[in-house]
Amino acid sequence: MPIAVAGCGALTAAGPGLASLLAAVAANASALQTRAYVLGRTTQAIVAGYVPADVVAALRAADPAHADARAFLFAAAALDEAAANAGDRLAAVPPARRGFVLATTKANIDALDQLVRRQPVSTVAQRQLQPALLAADLAARCACRGPVQCVSAACVSGLLALGQGVALIRRGLADAVWVAGVDLISHFVLAGFTALKSLDPEGCRPFDRARVGLSLGEGAGAVILVRADLLAPPHIRLKGTGSSNDANHLTGPSRDGSGLALAIQRALAAARLAPDQIDFINAHGTGTPYNDNMEALALRSVFGERVPPFNSNKGLTGHLLGAAGVLETTLCVAALQTGRLPGTPRLRERDPVAPASLLAEPRAADRLERVLKINCGFAGTNAALILERYPS
Amino acid sequence: MNPPAVLAASYLGPEGFGNDLTGLRPWPWPLAEELARGELAGLHWSLLSASDPSRFLRMDLMCRLGFMAVELLDAHFEARPAVQRDRLGVCVESFTGSLDTDIRFAQTPRPSIFAYTLPSTVIGEICIRFGFRGPVLSLVAARPGGENAGTEAAAWLATGEADLALCLSLEALNPSTARTLPLPPALAPCLWHGAALLLGREDGSPRAKPFLAGPLAAACQRWVCR
Repeated sequence: MPIAVAGCGALTAAGPGLASLLAAVAANASALQTRAYVLGRTTQAIVAGYVPADVVAALRAADPAHADARAFLFAAAALDEAAANAGDRLAAVPPARRGFVLATTKANIDALDQLVRRQPVSTVAQRQLQPALLAADLAARCACRGPVQCVSAACVSGLLALGQGVALIRRGLADAVWVAGVDLISHFVLAGFTALKSLDPEGCRPFDRARVGLSLGEGAGAVILVRADLLAPPHIRLKGTGSSNDANHLTGPSRDGSGLALAIQRALAAARLAPDQIDFINAHGTGTPYNDNMEALALRSVFGERVPPFNSNKGLTGHLLGAAGVLETTLCVAALQTGRLPGTPRLRERDPVAPASLLAEPRAADRLERVLKINCGFAGTNAALILERYPS
Repeated sequence: MNPPAVLAASYLGPEGFGNDLTGLRPWPWPLAEELARGELAGLHWSLLSASDPSRFLRMDLMCRLGFMAVELLDAHFEARPAVQRDRLGVCVESFTGSLDTDIRFAQTPRPSIFAYTLPSTVIGEICIRFGFRGPVLSLVAARPGGENAGTEAAAWLATGEADLALCLSLEALNPSTARTLPLPPALAPCLWHGAALLLGREDGSPRAKPFLAGPLAAACQRWVCR
């Protein structure tokens, strides 16, 4: 059963809505900024993709009941935009036939930071510390009364969640599924990544010769999936997904890229496509030396020396962890809709290890029918997803 | 295509541990009393095996439970060829997830435990030990019991994404950890357990039994306590 994308939404460091994000993509801009955090006994300047303070303030003012539940506010904003973009095309789907899948690593982790510091925190913010309860609250807000799931699988959560959305529709449990991804920059997450020495103090530079680490990001992405027969063409279809495990290391990628290659091959098989039918790849591209090396190897392993044009948007938004897959899928949908390929913000000099088809700047595509989206995460997880313009 | 079958089942919980071959065995005293109180620090690999996997001592409670549940399956994964392990998927479901480790990390951030602040880390530990490279999924549920893990793992078999699938239900929030914070009632510790099913296609082996839908933990208990 074909599955189509009915609407997308986003909230990122670039501002509220897809329009701000796509404007930054078109300008190949970076929304990374520096803020000071007290981590342990030191104050550190952290370059990351923070949702602007005025945007957060506006969301809080509009929904005071969730004022200290940023994960809910961020995801709700992205979901509202996705539903608005879908418009009345979803009117035929009753609430009982609407499923919901949330992707997140730490849900409303702010609440744990506040509990540990013995600071006041609302009951709802504490409740939404549990990812599935956050999913249930968001599903109720979106009037999704069908099946609700929550995927928490590190940085592949988003792509796995989209795969679950497809599965729920194909199994006949829903006609449409709201898929959201959300994660926050918090003391908890910053303490972890600074302890691992994974952050680039100047801001990430994916696939750059001088890259030294990643930049965190926060925000949300949302994609509404629907049975394709309920959505008149032209539209974008989700053709196939695949996942794998490296069986190699908990916090680092496999050195040979074979696990990611396996996930890509599984997505291609599920979509019944050959590698040469892929026109563009949105890479994971975190900016860590090991990740970007591994991805380059995986892409060469699957595509040989004819790797399609590819990019990373982490230099724009930072790494949204569990939300990355959903957010980056919205960018892939936009690329298919506009025929324009995004660049790789903050790239100065391509590392020779990266295939020469790396996109430094945005440009019009020669051909853009199918897009591959890939993510990798802690615990050796890899995921891939393929989108297609229909009719092609 | 044949419907999925349960090829092996295992369970660890306050009342004991075992698999579908051994049935449920009681914990040795005085560990049994600690475990009955929900204090899990005494759960150790040596209860299952004389071998000493060095990774075990680094793991958090959730990973230890998952690791032990898979070991308890008595499925001899190491003997399977690599091609079969590439086609073995792992699906984990939990309500409390990594909350025990989250709380400890939030109180005392240490790099060595940060990797365990994800409910999916247990998948990595299991895959590293046995070389599994099939599809993966980590679900956090709104209640304990593993209602979805079995369904999702069975779906991999039905769609051909995997030939074998491990599904686990894990709950490992130590009450002594939970007591350190004023957690809301919605996040109160539930009964701890580690339960695992190995699903495959009916292979004619004496252990293969029809796959029953329903909460995974209940299914495991049913097999183990047959």
